[in-house]
Amino acid sequence: MMAQMRWLLTMVLALTALTAQSSPVEQTKGDFRDNFRQLDEALPTPNVYRNAAGQPGHEYWQQQVDYSIKAQLDEEARRLTATQEVDYHNNSPDTLTYLWLYLDQNIFRSDSMNELATDFGGAGRRGPPVQAGDADAPARLSMSELRRQQFMEDHELGFDIQAVQTANGDPLPFTIVGTLMRVDLPKPLEPGKRTRFRIDFAYNIVEEDAVSARSGYEHFPDDEREGGNDIFLIAQWFPRLVAYTDYEGWTNKEFLGRGEFTLEFGDYDVAIDVPADHIVSSTGTLQNPDEALTTEQRSRLREAEDAERPVYIVTPEEALENEREGTDERKTWRFQADNVRDFAWASSRKFIWDARGHHQPGAEHEQVMAMSFFPREGDPLWSEYSTETVIHTMEVYSRFSFDYPYPVAQSVNGPVGGMEYPMITFNGPRTTLQDDGERTYSLAEKRFLIGVIIHEIGHIYFPMTVNTDERQWTWMDEGINSFLDALAGREWDPDIPWGNEPRDIVGYMVSQDQQPIMTQSDSITRIGPNAYSKPATALNILRETIMGRELFDFAFREFSQRWKFKRPTPADFFRTMEEASGVDLDWFWRGWFYTTDHVDISLDRIYAMRLDTEDPDIDYQRMREREEDKPSISVMHNEEEGIVPWVERNPDVRDFYDENDQFTVTNEQRNEYREFLDGLEDWERTAFERAVEEDRNYYVLEFSNVGGLVMPIILQLHYADGSTQNMYIPAEIWRRDSRQVRKLIVSDKELESVVMDPYEETADADMTNNHYPRQLIPSRIEAYKASSGDSLVGRDIMQEIKTELKTADDESEGGDTE
Amino acid sequence: MRVRSAVQRRCMPRWRLAAALLILVSLPLSTPQAHQQKAAITQIQFNERSGSLEVMHRFYLHDAEHAVRRLLDPAADIIANEQTRQQFAEYVAGKFTLYREDGSPLPLRLLGQEADGQFFWVYQELPVDAPPARVTARHDALRDLWPEQVNTVNIQLDGTIRTLTFTGDDRRLSADSGQQQTTP
Repeated sequence: MMAQMRWLLTMVLALTALTAQSSPVEQTKGDFRDNFRQLDEALPTPNVYRNAAGQPGHEYWQQQVDYSIKAQLDEEARRLTATQEVDYHNNSPDTLTYLWLYLDQNIFRSDSMNELATDFGGAGRRGPPVQAGDADAPARLSMSELRRQQFMEDHELGFDIQAVQTANGDPLPFTIVGTLMRVDLPKPLEPGKRTRFRIDFAYNIVEEDAVSARSGYEHFPDDEREGGNDIFLIAQWFPRLVAYTDYEGWTNKEFLGRGEFTLEFGDYDVAIDVPADHIVSSTGTLQNPDEALTTEQRSRLREAEDAERPVYIVTPEEALENEREGTDERKTWRFQADNVRDFAWASSRKFIWDARGHHQPGAEHEQVMAMSFFPREGDPLWSEYSTETVIHTMEVYSRFSFDYPYPVAQSVNGPVGGMEYPMITFNGPRTTLQDDGERTYSLAEKRFLIGVIIHEIGHIYFPMTVNTDERQWTWMDEGINSFLDALAGREWDPDIPWGNEPRDIVGYMVSQDQQPIMTQSDSITRIGPNAYSKPATALNILRETIMGRELFDFAFREFSQRWKFKRPTPADFFRTMEEASGVDLDWFWRGWFYTTDHVDISLDRIYAMRLDTEDPDIDYQRMREREEDKPSISVMHNEEEGIVPWVERNPDVRDFYDENDQFTVTNEQRNEYREFLDGLEDWERTAFERAVEEDRNYYVLEFSNVGGLVMPIILQLHYADGSTQNMYIPAEIWRRDSRQVRKLIVSDKELESVVMDPYEETADADMTNNHYPRQLIPSRIEAYKASSGDSLVGRDIMQEIKTELKTADDESEGGDTE
Repeated sequence: MRVRSAVQRRCMPRWRLAAALLILVSLPLSTPQAHQQKAAITQIQFNERSGSLEVMHRFYLHDAEHAVRRLLDPAADIIANEQTRQQFAEYVAGKFTLYREDGSPLPLRLLGQEADGQFFWVYQELPVDAPPARVTARHDALRDLWPEQVNTVNIQLDGTIRTLTFTGDDRRLSADSGQQQTTP
């Protein structure tokens, strides 16, 4: 019995040990922590598909999937019906017997895993507010949650897959598994071969405001046209091939709403049949402008190519006219897009449309048409800034990565706050209708518009072109893109706070509730700081502080170009950044991306030292002075009480030792000094004599690592003569002791004080231990009280500016004086 | 580690659950905004110099901007309008509570607010003789507007930081000896 118990206990202990320590390499004695251990065990083994340098390997492959789709929008029923032909190229070395497709619309089915596995009132849900009750409080449902539930009840949502057939029309067996569908092939698809098949499908479009989606329709009931109008944003709208990869096989993980998409590149030919008065914005270039557009619109588009400012293709007046009427006629818009990983479009009769050409000499697409589509509810803000922001984004991002890789870049206003697809983005900001009929917008809304457009257009580079795996790693597209969007934002207007300041991420990094950045998207509790701000801040610190702009920019551009139109994993990013810069960054990836440590380095103490000359006539005098400087409180008190020592009261009694204290130098010491000098090697004597001659100040600074994350130590040394010196100690100082290190500083000058991380560039959590001697660092509240909280940003300058200037005459005439 | 009162909820009689669900509140509509962070961080610390418990709420200005338009009126402008800023601060103060051991709320004083870069700060304080051994808090700000809102409260009364994370249906949470737990 006892033996059994022990065995069980051992089992439990062994299991615990396994979960706690997954690395095959363990420190099993002592408590040494190797923050600089190379990531060898953490990163996947390099192979012929992805090499050890972070490059696509010499046998890198990815599948290609071409689509030809005919889609019809039923505006009244808000239903989309389509036929799609898929041409699947198996470029992998594997034989495939089945293919997997994503059916993202199925997430809206009431029996979807996302719906069934929703923790009512739990963390991180996308959707309307609810609050679970308990013994003390009732549960709460918001009106919008009721609306969502009713919408899902009243509408049959999810894909209606009507037929799956071979190119010859033979039915293909298919199995739907939640948001996924497996299609079994009639015969195995060998490496290098292609297969074609056809899917007929339809689905009811969701009302975006009702279900909180990334696409859907928005209804405008108050428009003059009977029944109002809609804006349709159409995305995740067709069965898309799941990526088949060298590192995961089929990336067929159920869509739970958070981890976005992992898709294949391919060529698209899409015919969109909509009401004839609709304007369509879409991924790709329009193939039938003669049918879809008027002569006037085509000529305006030509004018826009070289225009200085955006040119209306559909003016606000024309759009207003358009949205009043309606038609029973239909029109087909045909778009073609090459080498894209997804396809989305938007359609409405409400759209105002403007455009301006962006030129990139020498690029594959030397002319890119930047375009915006928006209802009057977005104006005048959208006319002013949308298309200009699209162009600014391309200018900045192209410099950091590669030329914009497509012929068009679009920003479309609709019900979605911000969402990206190849060549097309959905952006939410609107203006407010005032009582006088004018539409106005706040400074915040303007910043939101510019910020969100930069961010979403930026996504056309990452992950639409550098095709990261969004279902696994939200940080790879959101973190990299948030890093770049702040760079583009600062180049737009540095006075707007764009973020990624290291001090701003401290609150998140010290909190107990967080996951490492290297966490699969669906599990993250706080997606904003985890996948957007923290990785973006980390990259900014690499660029500004650890690698420097030159090395970082070279390596980042290298990563972008290596993986343009390919699919990198985190390891490919980590490896490329190191390989291209020559800077070992494993410690940085480990600390910032693989752990939840934070930065807090403390400057604990400084020891000041002086070199002994060994010359007794100098050193004994210094010792005497040190002894005399030692205070004694008892002697002090005696003096205060007027106690006169015996030796002073009896000056007549004297002997040899009254004249010669213990620091008296005799020839014995002088001879020892001579022997010491004679015993030195020539090189020792040279070094020694020079050091004595220079008589410099020696300081040992002692640091401890409170936060756990190793970082460079950045010092500002303040000297007694008023001068300052900046010093950068690389993070590698922590390599053999990640808890406490010392740094020797030798100077001609006398050190007075030291500030660590004076420019707040390392995300150091506690600034109170960054000063030596310690300084009083006021809390935010103390600082706020001291400044009385007046903020100039809060001034209503629009009102103040109406104030008339008072003159001396005014005052004398005023009669208000006493 | 979070300890949820899951067992208790599961044991709730069926009729009770049904009755609870009937209660409806009028909460404004939430539209997901990819660019909003929907995250706030509150820092609570004991300031020995001033002898007070300092509460500093940090919201993203962008979140606050969208919030005031739902809370006050669609044209509310938190950047330009001092009154709007004060109203938002009052809203936050009304949605954040610290409790005594006996469950009664502590009379936190609203000191003021300020916009700083991309953040909006709201400050509260309470004169106390010594840092409390146990902190119980409730932080509903913005969580009544959008369910994704996560309010993190970092409590630093001695050397260690304890974190309360208000998300989903969390109401009162307590922290002592470095652990977070729901209070019954």
